[in-house]
Amino acid sequence: MLETTEVAASARHRAPLRRPATGTLVRAVVIVALLLFALLALPQLLSLYYVDAMTEVAIYAVVSLGLGVLVGRVGLVSLGQIAVLAIGAWVAARLLFATTQPYPLVLLEAGLITMAIGTIIGLPALRLRGLYLALLTLMVAGALAIVLASTNFPNGGHGFLGYNGSLINIPPIRRPSIATNDPAYYRYAVVVAILMFLLVFVHIRTKPGRAWSAIRQSEPAALAAGINTTMYKLWAFALASFVTGVAGGVYAGAAHYLYSIDFPAQNSIILLAVVLMGGAYSLWGAVVAGLLSQLLPALLNNWGVSNDWLTILFGIGVVQVLTTAPRGLADQVPKDLARLGRLLLRLATKPTEATAEGTANTAEGTANTAESEAP
Amino acid sequence: MPSWQDFQPFLVTGLALGGVYALSGVGLVVLYQATGVVYLAFGAVGAMGALITWSMISDGIANWLCWLACLAFSGVVTLAYGITFGPLLAKRDPLVKATATLGLLLVLFGVMDLLWTTSGGESRAITLPTDNGGFSIAQIQVTWTQVIGLAVGVVIAAGTAAFLRYTKLGTAMRAMANDREITATLGVPVRRVEAAAWLGCGLLAGVAGLLLADMVALDATTLTFLVISSLAAALIARLRSIALTFAAAIVIGVVQNMLVPINAVSNYNDMTPFVLAAIALLVLSRRQVLSRAREDT
Amino acid sequence: MIVVKDLTVRFGGVTSLDRMSVTFETGTCGLIGPNGAGKTTFFNVLSGFVRPSGGTVTAFGDNLLSMVHYRRARWGVRRTFQTEQAIEELSVYDNVAMVQEHSHRGSSRRDDVLSAISFVGLDVDPRSRVQSLGAGQRRLVEVARAVAGRPRLVLLDEPAAGLPDAETENLAAVIRQIPARTGALTILVDHDMSLVSACCETTAVLDFGELIASGPTADVLRDERVVSAYLGTEAA
Repeated sequence: MLETTEVAASARHRAPLRRPATGTLVRAVVIVALLLFALLALPQLLSLYYVDAMTEVAIYAVVSLGLGVLVGRVGLVSLGQIAVLAIGAWVAARLLFATTQPYPLVLLEAGLITMAIGTIIGLPALRLRGLYLALLTLMVAGALAIVLASTNFPNGGHGFLGYNGSLINIPPIRRPSIATNDPAYYRYAVVVAILMFLLVFVHIRTKPGRAWSAIRQSEPAALAAGINTTMYKLWAFALASFVTGVAGGVYAGAAHYLYSIDFPAQNSIILLAVVLMGGAYSLWGAVVAGLLSQLLPALLNNWGVSNDWLTILFGIGVVQVLTTAPRGLADQVPKDLARLGRLLLRLATKPTEATAEGTANTAEGTANTAESEAP
Repeated sequence: MPSWQDFQPFLVTGLALGGVYALSGVGLVVLYQATGVVYLAFGAVGAMGALITWSMISDGIANWLCWLACLAFSGVVTLAYGITFGPLLAKRDPLVKATATLGLLLVLFGVMDLLWTTSGGESRAITLPTDNGGFSIAQIQVTWTQVIGLAVGVVIAAGTAAFLRYTKLGTAMRAMANDREITATLGVPVRRVEAAAWLGCGLLAGVAGLLLADMVALDATTLTFLVISSLAAALIARLRSIALTFAAAIVIGVVQNMLVPINAVSNYNDMTPFVLAAIALLVLSRRQVLSRAREDT
Repeated sequence: MIVVKDLTVRFGGVTSLDRMSVTFETGTCGLIGPNGAGKTTFFNVLSGFVRPSGGTVTAFGDNLLSMVHYRRARWGVRRTFQTEQAIEELSVYDNVAMVQEHSHRGSSRRDDVLSAISFVGLDVDPRSRVQSLGAGQRRLVEVARAVAGRPRLVLLDEPAAGLPDAETENLAAVIRQIPARTGALTILVDHDMSLVSACCETTAVLDFGELIASGPTADVLRDERVVSAYLGTEAA
């Protein structure tokens, strides 16, 4: 009796592992179609202003991806990812000025060096409890920000820091030869982003992804199953730092000139907010986070609405997600998205009058729901 | 290497700032003990209170009313946040609770920038009447504001320690730090004790906001993130000991300021709280896996 | 055979285990005692989550305490927890395969995982997510994980807690067969005395961190010291 069940079970299990279900195929086709649209059609349709904004979306989607791996997959919160982005940008800028290496190589190096730094900092930190780890990242990021404010970003000068304070004509950070104008650079950024997403996707679907799931649910259980939790947490840190470093490199090329005020401390908090709102667990959430943090401000700016409303919205979003999330910080379906969708719809149809009113109402609505949804 | 004369004014500033960090740190510690929340919006709420005070002063309202407004604002907002979201998040991990306060931070940040835009070049300042008076000790100039800064730190630290030890409310807070559920079953009005902690912390945020606005700058970003210096002191004290918080705060303030006249590290003196806190946190990390799991449920 | 000698664990003033010495010979052994006696602490020492203040544990000749916690699983320690810990978002298959995945024993594992799943009587699609299973089934997933691969020491921490009688009986039948199927030594902690009697040939009793009795289960359950340790609790 036992034998037949065994055989049946193994037969059931073995075959379907090879053939993907139709649902997955449909989703894959949709994703590819969307990506092709974003790559090819979008730059033609949008003005330069929005093309630049979408380049930023691509960059921050990758940064959000990194934070999503930490928060959504492993359950670690980092309050300093913008500092990591700054490091990546710094390294890339230095290499781009000092060498004539091809762009992909520079991006790779920026990613690897940032990864090394992230791992070195991560190693002693990983024994810390969730809250203390988050606070440690805040402290390290703060210290790094001060160092960066002092050393500044490379601007073509010599020496290790590559910064010359008395330069009058600062050379712009170069771009890849195949992508010097903005629409072309946008496409370049999207391709890099796709590669980073693929990298993370592969991680999630294989051994490290499963180990992270185990660690997030219960570290003692993971240890009891033989998982070297320290190593896998470090791996998550390394992966997050790598992709963020690469994103920093793309940022350097996009911005042409780097200043430390480009990386203010509150951006790390806003990053966390949009990652939580977009959904830390899913890869789509990272894209949404990028849209929230880069496209929305561009839209609002164009319509004459202050970005501060977004900051307020993000603040409310954080509290909303956390109070309604079933378990911890990895939420599946963020309710804020639906509201945001409605808001955007309203803004798109009545750009000027409805803006202030609409945002205030939505903000209020979200706050009210948060209070009335008390468990 | 600068001479002792050069260091003196920085020693004074350091002590004064350290005193304010101490009063903030104590507020953070007491709230954490009573509720499990690390109130990261502490600086932001004090900053907005200070900006409100500035606006009111600019409108010609009597000084003391304006200061009172700062305290009232900080106290009320903190209390409102606490009694609304405290119960909602009561059973969650301290990390979740602390992250939620970041939401409040963002909201306040956005409102401050909206109402008091930083662009435009005008710099605001709060001057307390005590800025003008002062005295000298051994040729060092000390303003009354600086004295107040240090004094308030001492008084709050000592007073809070005594409060926690000898009053009924304080003992209740200590009990709740230990185990919230059991304290509730002992008949302690848990919600009311928490509300008291939130309100107290909020009021301290207002006081700190005013003093820091005077001593450092009346700038939303600066004041919001100055909480980190106080947080550093609290972390060094493991979010537990009032005395250690006070000592750490004074050390942070003094070291941070005494580094200013040393040219080589002058640019990096603001790193002091970050570096000290990071070291403290890493030293804290001698914990076993299981105790963490147990504490999290 | 597991030989525990003078095992002592102190947590800030509280002594959880006090010079505990016991030998678990073979087959399925019970470990019982009133709440707070130190049973879970003992398991935590064996799993490597708690470092003892003193004492030794020799398992099949190897010094267990010298191994880092995650390596003990590779050595062959398997443990279930009081609150079920099957990873919800992973499939049944992935859960059971987890230990081998991290023991670098790739090849023959698919058959082994599937046979472990059917051994515990779990009749669900191995690809289904644990999230979709009931509490009893999740417990079985954990037991399946414990018997997959080549376990040498299986620690079951109150596997029947919260389960209805029918499922407990089912579980008892599975537990009884573990030593035969795997050759592992099984230690069962539970408060359900009928489960302990049904599964365990020998039983050890802890009270206040000390061993107060050990031997054939039936004798131990009748021992006066054991009964009085459970004063106020029904020793079924």
